[in-house]
Amino acid sequence: MSEVKILQNGSGLVWYKFLKYFEIAKVNYFNSATYLVNLISRSAIVVIRIWIFTQLYKVSYSITGVSEIEGLTVVMVVWSLMMTQSFQTATRPQLSKLIDEEVKSGTLAYSVNRPYSYILFHFSGFIGRSIPNLFINLFIGSLAALLLVGPIGLSWEALLFGVILLFFGYILDFFISLIIGLSAFWIEDTSAFTWIYSKGQLVFGGLILPIALFPDYLQKIAELLPFSQMYYGAARLIVHFEPSLFLQYFATQLVWILFFGLVAYYLFNKGIKHVSVNGG
Amino acid sequence: MFLSTVGKYISLTWEMTKSSILSAMEYRVSFIVQVFGMLVNDIALVGIWLIFFQKFPSINGWQFQDTAMLFALTTVNFAIVMIFARGAFELSKTIARGELDYYLSFPKNVLWHALVSKTDISAIGDLLFGLIIFFFSGNISLEKIGLFAVIGILTALIFLNFIIITQSITFYVGNFEEAAEQMFHALLGFTLYPQTAFYGALKIVMLTIIPAFFIATLPVQLIQKFNPQFFLILVGFWILTTIIAAIIFKHGLRRYESGNLINVKM
Repeated sequence: MSEVKILQNGSGLVWYKFLKYFEIAKVNYFNSATYLVNLISRSAIVVIRIWIFTQLYKVSYSITGVSEIEGLTVVMVVWSLMMTQSFQTATRPQLSKLIDEEVKSGTLAYSVNRPYSYILFHFSGFIGRSIPNLFINLFIGSLAALLLVGPIGLSWEALLFGVILLFFGYILDFFISLIIGLSAFWIEDTSAFTWIYSKGQLVFGGLILPIALFPDYLQKIAELLPFSQMYYGAARLIVHFEPSLFLQYFATQLVWILFFGLVAYYLFNKGIKHVSVNGG
Repeated sequence: MFLSTVGKYISLTWEMTKSSILSAMEYRVSFIVQVFGMLVNDIALVGIWLIFFQKFPSINGWQFQDTAMLFALTTVNFAIVMIFARGAFELSKTIARGELDYYLSFPKNVLWHALVSKTDISAIGDLLFGLIIFFFSGNISLEKIGLFAVIGILTALIFLNFIIITQSITFYVGNFEEAAEQMFHALLGFTLYPQTAFYGALKIVMLTIIPAFFIATLPVQLIQKFNPQFFLILVGFWILTTIIAAIIFKHGLRRYESGNLINVKM
């Protein structure tokens, strides 16, 4: 009865819709948080990686004999790598694989008939799953970075603008992963795209080598690619804030989100025409 | 007697893998996409180190050529495991779900059967990549090819033992699937970096819990400059991990509980 009342009211309808997706995010949040052993093991690998980066960059910087490269010190490099790794690994399990399985198994046919948007359903799930992972990764990663290289100077504006870039970075990652998953409508095995996508992130996403340390010509190219606009932009801004850099990254991010968002929407609509439901 | 049994198992492994590859090749497009997809994937991985070494040309004497050799060896040993024993990665899942029954009903060794039950087709791309990189790394002699082959197989077996050990922990603790996968990624992660950068406690981790030293550091040194004593250490480590893997699996199997699932494999 109360639901009917809400639906009769226009603003209530928007609120009701919001609640629906909030609930989806909540379920995924609790689901992810339940598997504590998995979360701990995932965090342990983050610690080992930070340890590796610390030793690698301490040795590399000491060989070159400089304390700063392109404005970044070893401490900044380690913290920025810790963040990009934490942001990126928080999105597991890979969305592209989940969608791929839904397309192949046919569960997508049942999902699209339910009273929610398929794309928004998965987006809420994606965000809900990532949040507990992100907090645990960042907590353990920060502790490790603190112990290994010491603290880093943080400003409120760096954090605020970094978080904005991160949120839009997740949207960008979501759309590209969705596209890879949806390609299962036409291609038998999408895993090759998933590997190439994750390697694109590894090379141009600042996961091993910050883009600021790239040779100049490559740096310019890398900053225009979508890979750097997911998690590197946010991490780079948090460790070393530059207002002009925020505007540059944010504009590039929005262009890519618009592009991949449209492609995903087009592919989804084209793909569901292939879906036929037989029986119940 | 022992040797003839080993010979039979090797020939059976070869036959099972061959039939898996041949059946995968029936789906030609998928096969080509997987193999070449992996090849591109590996090339991208080398790309990042090309960029890195432009900024830092030498890390304690370790140069891009060393990284190329490291990648050649680790992609080959990884590929050997994935092609012939992909089932190792599914052990934890199989144990946790009580699906080991299928292998228990056969006259052959349970662990061996579970290991060879799957083949990763994309690993053929890794194998091709590793061999190409090795042949382009310069200074190739017949002796070096032989050494590369022997060390490639030996490190693949150590790699396999590590996977069996971590996946079999599921027998004892229940849910260990993702933790085992993460340990595997940690091991693989170590093999990406210039090996001369590590020191102190991290080196101890590489020598024990995550034995990257025996899969990457030491073998690359051996291929570049052979040393019989170091080679014996590598063989010794292989024997040690084989014994540990066999004990953990065999002892764990006694604790195994069936899921009472009836599976028909076609």
